[in-house]
Amino acid sequence: MNIIKGSARVLGDEVSTDIHCSSKYLPGKDTAYIATVAFDQVSPGFAKAFKKGDVLVAGKNFGINSSREQAVHIMHQMGVAAIVAPSFGRQFFRNAINNGLAVIECDTSGISAGDAIEIDPSAGRVVVAARNITRAVPPLPAAVQALLAAGGLIPFLQKNPDWNLG
Amino acid sequence: MGHTIAEKILGNHAGGKPATAGEIVVADVDFAMIHDARAGNALKMIEKLGAGQANFALPHVKRTALVLDHYSPPPNMEAANTHVAMREFAEKHGSPIYDVGDGICHQVLPEGGHLTCGDLVVGTDTHSTTYGAFNAFGTGVEGTDVSAVMMTGKLWFRVPDTIRIELNGPLQPGVWAKDVTLHMLSQLGAEGANYQALEYVGSGVSAMAIDDRMTLSNHAAELGAKAALLEADEKTFAWLKAHNAAAPKPVKADADATYTRRIVIDTAKLPPQVARQHHIDDVVGVNEVTNQKIQVALIGTCTNGRLDDIRQAAAILKGRKLAKGVRMIVTPASRAIYLAAMREGLFEILTAAGASVEAAGCGTCVNITGHYIAGDNQVVISSANRNFKGRLGNPNSEIWIGSAATVAASALTGFVTDARTVAGGDWRAAA
Repeated sequence: MNIIKGSARVLGDEVSTDIHCSSKYLPGKDTAYIATVAFDQVSPGFAKAFKKGDVLVAGKNFGINSSREQAVHIMHQMGVAAIVAPSFGRQFFRNAINNGLAVIECDTSGISAGDAIEIDPSAGRVVVAARNITRAVPPLPAAVQALLAAGGLIPFLQKNPDWNLG
Repeated sequence: MGHTIAEKILGNHAGGKPATAGEIVVADVDFAMIHDARAGNALKMIEKLGAGQANFALPHVKRTALVLDHYSPPPNMEAANTHVAMREFAEKHGSPIYDVGDGICHQVLPEGGHLTCGDLVVGTDTHSTTYGAFNAFGTGVEGTDVSAVMMTGKLWFRVPDTIRIELNGPLQPGVWAKDVTLHMLSQLGAEGANYQALEYVGSGVSAMAIDDRMTLSNHAAELGAKAALLEADEKTFAWLKAHNAAAPKPVKADADATYTRRIVIDTAKLPPQVARQHHIDDVVGVNEVTNQKIQVALIGTCTNGRLDDIRQAAAILKGRKLAKGVRMIVTPASRAIYLAAMREGLFEILTAAGASVEAAGCGTCVNITGHYIAGDNQVVISSANRNFKGRLGNPNSEIWIGSAATVAASALTGFVTDARTVAGGDWRAAA
């Protein structure tokens, strides 16, 4: 997988994407609208300031509890290049991979909004050069990389109906 | 090197050899479920994928149940239209469908005989861990996953690590599986078992009825568990047989299986537990709570809306009235439970006491179902599974979580109450 470079946009611990990045509590509102207001309640103006290619840097258990995969569609619309967090809610982690969004489990302490961050998912490395941060993380398994490279589970199966994950 | 139940079931479905925690496997899924809070997008996606493709097929669609439970009945036009689409899809493809009033997905799947010991089952709901009560690997996924299962019959899984939890001794009267999980939440914290499977073993599990075992596996979702597996025994086999399930293929862990952690709980001495407002892991003994008023008492959901829960509530409320100013709503988890409770006369007892009974479904679990919205400063005690701020539509209300026994005892007194202090609170022992 290619190295992902972007500017860090930071959220705290235990952010539920069902509450802050879905239409669960906004019935009838579409993905495009929520992409302009997502995470506002935990970080006012977050979505508006978010630029295509930025990296979402979060605290522990990002996407905790029940998690709609709509959250990942919204994040694609916002232009999220990857998410880095010390841990993810299990369902969110799976949804991100199934929908082609790279999720990296890494300690995010010391990383601030606007920091240039560089992620190498294959080698397993997260670098914030300006802060002398270089952190080793478990490389994404080959099967997960194959799903991400295809753009998610369904595009993968369209090309590989026999599930050859490599 | 031995293996856990999770490693064995996933391995059995991915070529036959036991899998190892951390490995990613592609496994054959025995049964899948999609409910109405997730089906809208998934069914649209499948229609889009199939559009104009002559060879597009859904070979496993008949092993995928569609369940209309969250919006039962639909509180808005969007949900009503999702229901229309689900009925059309089931009609066109021959999927089993459970319509409004039939019950909650996690109750109707086992009752419908759709799973047995050793199976691999996925559902679009975090509480799909419930199937572990039947020694099946049940786990929550999303619409994309169920679409992939309908198309190929398979799905990818990261094989989870397992925590082994030994429950020592039968629970006291007035204490339920709900209390065991609340206690675990106080020890491990919410998401304390994130990514991991749980294996519950010991005399505390053996003593539990199937209803209570289902609570145990179901409520593991609040611990973040990927699956919550119980061993099968004669009670399991008898229940599955009575519900026309396929022949069981029970799976046990090896004595030398690897666990990330081993926990022992002295269940014989455990008092009833309650989660205080807003945080499911802010748990104390019910007897430590004094003078905490409640205005609303809710019994139902996939966690505690089963027949034993309703029987316990009726045992406490028989011939009595709810405390002044208390409202109570009881929602059976399925039509079968509804019928059984009605035949046993439980609804007459509850209705005479001042409670309302609703048709089977997800009911009062969360505001999106449209069944209950809390008012400002109201304190709710519920047998549901989640109590974060605003779960019932109002951040200025409180939700406390306890067993059906605790909820009914609290409805009777108007205060958070230990069921062991009221007549009928020991129903299980008396039965």
